[in-house]
Amino acid sequence: MKELTCIVCPNGCRLEVEEKDGEWIVSGNQCKRGEQFAIEEMTHPMRTICSTVRTVFPEAPVLPVRVSVEIPKERIFDVMQEINKVMVREICGTGDPVIKNVLGLGADVIVTSSILKEE
Amino acid sequence: MKEYDVIIIGGGPAGLAAAISADKQGAKVLLIEREARLGGILKQCIHDGFGLVRFGEKLSGPEYVERFIHEFRERKIESELLTFVTEMKKADGSFMLTAVNRQGVQEYMAKALVLATGCRERTAKQVQIHGTRPAGVMTAGTAQHFVNLQGKMPAGRCVILGSGDIGLIMARRLTLEGARVLGVYEVKPEPSGLTRNIVQCLDDYQIPLHLSHTVTRVFGEGQLTAVEVAEVDEHMRPIESTKKKVACDSLILSVGLIPENEMAEKLGIRLDGHTKGPFCDNHFMTEITGTFSCGNALHVNDLVDYVSESGELAGAAAAKYAFDAVGVGSEARIKSEGNGSETGLKVEGNGDKFGKKAGECSGGSGRKNAELEIEVNSSLQYIVPQKLCLGSGEEMAVFYFRSRESVAKGTFVFTVDGKEVFTKKYRNLKPPEMERLELNLSLFQAAPGSRIEAAVRKEAGA
Amino acid sequence: MNVKSLQKKLGRRYGSAVSVRVAEGCIVVSGHLKRWEDIVTACSMCVDKKSGMHVVNDILLEGEKPASVRLPSLQDHALEGSRPDVLIIGGGISGVSIARELSKWKLDILLVDKEADLAVQASGRNDGEVHPGVDLNKGSLKQHYVLLGNKMYDRVCEELSVPFERCGQYVGFTDWWMYPAVWAYAWQRKHICKVTDTRMMSRKELAKREPNLNPAFKFAMFNPSAGCVCPYGLTIAYGENAVENGARISLNTGVLEMEVKEGKICSVQTNRGTIYPRIVINAAGVFAEDIARMAGDRFYSIHPRRGTNSILDKKAGPLVMGIASIKTLKKNTSHTKGGGILHTVHDNLLVGPNAVETPEKENYATHRSSIDAVFAKQKMTAEALSERDIITYFTGVRAATYEEDFIVEKGRKTRNLIHCGGIQSPGLTTAPAVALDIEKMAVEELKKEGAVEPNPAFNPVRKAPPVLNRLSNEERNRLIRENPDYGEIVCRCEEISRGEILDALKSPICVPTIDGIKKRVRPGMGRCQGGFCMPLVTKIISEFLEIPEEQVRKAGEGTEILLRDTKEIRKTGEAAEI
Repeated sequence: MKELTCIVCPNGCRLEVEEKDGEWIVSGNQCKRGEQFAIEEMTHPMRTICSTVRTVFPEAPVLPVRVSVEIPKERIFDVMQEINKVMVREICGTGDPVIKNVLGLGADVIVTSSILKEE
Repeated sequence: MKEYDVIIIGGGPAGLAAAISADKQGAKVLLIEREARLGGILKQCIHDGFGLVRFGEKLSGPEYVERFIHEFRERKIESELLTFVTEMKKADGSFMLTAVNRQGVQEYMAKALVLATGCRERTAKQVQIHGTRPAGVMTAGTAQHFVNLQGKMPAGRCVILGSGDIGLIMARRLTLEGARVLGVYEVKPEPSGLTRNIVQCLDDYQIPLHLSHTVTRVFGEGQLTAVEVAEVDEHMRPIESTKKKVACDSLILSVGLIPENEMAEKLGIRLDGHTKGPFCDNHFMTEITGTFSCGNALHVNDLVDYVSESGELAGAAAAKYAFDAVGVGSEARIKSEGNGSETGLKVEGNGDKFGKKAGECSGGSGRKNAELEIEVNSSLQYIVPQKLCLGSGEEMAVFYFRSRESVAKGTFVFTVDGKEVFTKKYRNLKPPEMERLELNLSLFQAAPGSRIEAAVRKEAGA
Repeated sequence: MNVKSLQKKLGRRYGSAVSVRVAEGCIVVSGHLKRWEDIVTACSMCVDKKSGMHVVNDILLEGEKPASVRLPSLQDHALEGSRPDVLIIGGGISGVSIARELSKWKLDILLVDKEADLAVQASGRNDGEVHPGVDLNKGSLKQHYVLLGNKMYDRVCEELSVPFERCGQYVGFTDWWMYPAVWAYAWQRKHICKVTDTRMMSRKELAKREPNLNPAFKFAMFNPSAGCVCPYGLTIAYGENAVENGARISLNTGVLEMEVKEGKICSVQTNRGTIYPRIVINAAGVFAEDIARMAGDRFYSIHPRRGTNSILDKKAGPLVMGIASIKTLKKNTSHTKGGGILHTVHDNLLVGPNAVETPEKENYATHRSSIDAVFAKQKMTAEALSERDIITYFTGVRAATYEEDFIVEKGRKTRNLIHCGGIQSPGLTTAPAVALDIEKMAVEELKKEGAVEPNPAFNPVRKAPPVLNRLSNEERNRLIRENPDYGEIVCRCEEISRGEILDALKSPICVPTIDGIKKRVRPGMGRCQGGFCMPLVTKIISEFLEIPEEQVRKAGEGTEILLRDTKEIRKTGEAAEI
């Protein structure tokens, strides 16, 4: 049995998850989404990551980025390594990808600020 | 001198929302921002999770605020950036502002003001950290600025004091950038930040959270070399026998936010000791008529979505006030006399023509309404707005409140003269999480002199 | 003096652990004790002011190695072979005021300090009170100089363009029966000690002038000549004016050793080379005794005394408009007035200091107990005083001799040495007057070897950069139009512009650190304590010096604020590009 705190909504239900005969039994949840969350956490937890990438522009030496869709939790540091390699040399803005389909995970790394377009 | 209906001070999420909503009402609006770029603190909040309530999406801070900046620009609302307000006066019912920017000393006039000045962080000295004064001690917001805007690392092995949201966010952020976060120490027995941040920022990275612990001392002459941590007793006093040294090169503080109301205080606006923001009515008007407060200057919010909402409400109310102001006659001023404010309102002539009588409201329609303060008992940290303008009948009002302690099952209750007029059941009320209510004011059938009370009732056995 | 009876007295208290003798014109106390307080008491017992001799402490503190002086690790030859006429050791208020007064003469003046800035030790860590001298009795150097120094403040501060307020000092009393004694005391101070304007003040007048003080005050002693100044501001201003008039200041320069031959200092070794000065002025504060020892002229001892002050938010400023304290009947053993509440020239309140004897000359750590003790007392001065308004606190260490008086004299055994030692409260007040006397002594000594000409270019007026938020809007507007950087506010709490920060970087003694800028123009001094502006000031410094931000320091060596670029740590692979 594993204890989890549900983060789907601010309620923060304390969940208990148990595997029984290949089935996940969730308790403590107040809604369906909590159950789904718990099962996902047990089978393939997904996370968003946000970071920055370097640029050549002195007014914004780094530019914020995030993954466009969640990636497997255990790949966070692998994706960070990819993000850290990036150097932005051209003006880009919110939504523009700096890495497409990062590590084949189906997520793009996208820029989340248009600061370079502001000046 | 340039004249406006509404001047908004602060270009973060609250100020932007206020400007847009005042503009929608047709007001002539100016937004003054002290930094070079709009967006306020969200510029450096690159983590996601913003806008879930409002847009149903998990945006990063810059993405969230850019949506407002975009609309602000589309509407061609005037703004003055890198402009710092140095003086505010109220005279003949208008506000005179002096500001400086790279062009010189500027003067502006407005019929209504919206104060959207945000908040600042409590510092190491404010939480009585003693010892030497080495480099390496800074607030989480300062660290966030360095990491996210300047691309610089202020920490290698770090200890975080306080489990406020920025501290939690920075624990993860610094970890992702290669720092080692040794632990988060929280003096209270419960975390100060949102549950989702505890889970996603600490648990995911195996960063320990030490509740009922604090940092008592720092060591190091040049650079920080260690901090002393200790468990605290039920009065939050460090227990001598539990003191131990933790070697680290940085101490990041996330020990609370304080609404910035130095501008408001210059005008003599009365502040609520609990929120540290102005006393406001349901239009977010302060006790100096014509000045409105919103966002984190009004009270520290948990979600930016509510910051924007209060901005919108304050902006719209300010615009309405500015329009109605034209017809308002000379009335006695209300300014809370004797509250010790030395820098109070500088009123020219013989009184504030735009003041209002005690017990009167900002409803604007010229109708004389009843104004009643909401009393909160010890079950609540606070409720905003603190006062209600009643009498104008059907009108919606938004309330924000925080429970004083965690309540597994409870009921929020509004009473008027002891009679329950509204109840709502809650599960898992937590102090870090703000609650929002939207109610029709017609619920409050109150007479002048009535007592309005708000409380959370714990359910038996919970 | 009677050494034998003194030895007996010591023996009764400390047995055979401590002995006293007179040697080479000094009262030398030696032995070993377990507690520092006992050492201080033993030495204090041996004081004999009438003899003209000073107590030299050779008692060892058992089980503790004395902390060695913290020296800069920098090693270069910047000063190698330099032959200044005057070498001043110490960049506190004493050293810089002497440098400035000496710069009236055509002399090569070199001031060295081991710290990265001026006013890092006692001069940067005191309350800034300009004392009226009412607490001092006739006969001491302190008393002699405090009267002279106090009167010089208006002119000095005007010349150096440093804010100074003669805000007055109120000492409140809660008991009527003390009135006659206090009245007599004030009379004596006024007529005998020449604190000519001290007077008794009625409860009514006190309440009118300082309405927030303890309502239980029945009367007060009022000293209108008391004032306040920013102590590090004044020190830096003195230093800048000295430099403008040709003096040199070398920071990060520690004195390591001296070569003394036949009662004369031949050379002074530092971490930046060997200096061959004609005369040396010892203004080394808590280290004056150590410098005296190197110069072969150790005839006094310093016992460091720590004091902690708190600074309160400007919002609390109106609580006290001058300097206020309470006088209670408790016997005062701490050699201090027990602190007070002072309205600073920057409109904060300063509360403190306390006094704690310590063997550590450079331990500036603060302790909660000091603050609690000071507040407990000062809440009796003004009830509404609240710890919640504290925005910062700091500890300083006073350089007291056992006689509790200054040493302002030529070397007793070493001819080309002048001591400006034992300078503690009211050392800030006395500095302008002491500097004039030391100037005289130095010039007299130098004249023995040849003529000393006045410096025709000497200008006593410091060219001070503007403080924008103190100007009228018209004047401010004019300056911003000349220099738009004055219109860009960087520090929001103290309203400091980028232009003012750049002025500090271009000032005669450029100290391009966060603390250096903070001391000069105040970004980070306000309620957010640099939370908002520190990254911006870091950036301005890095741009000005054309260095990466991670090389910008908070203060001295090894205080870099940033470690590296965020992306630097991983060296995997080539940078991907888009």
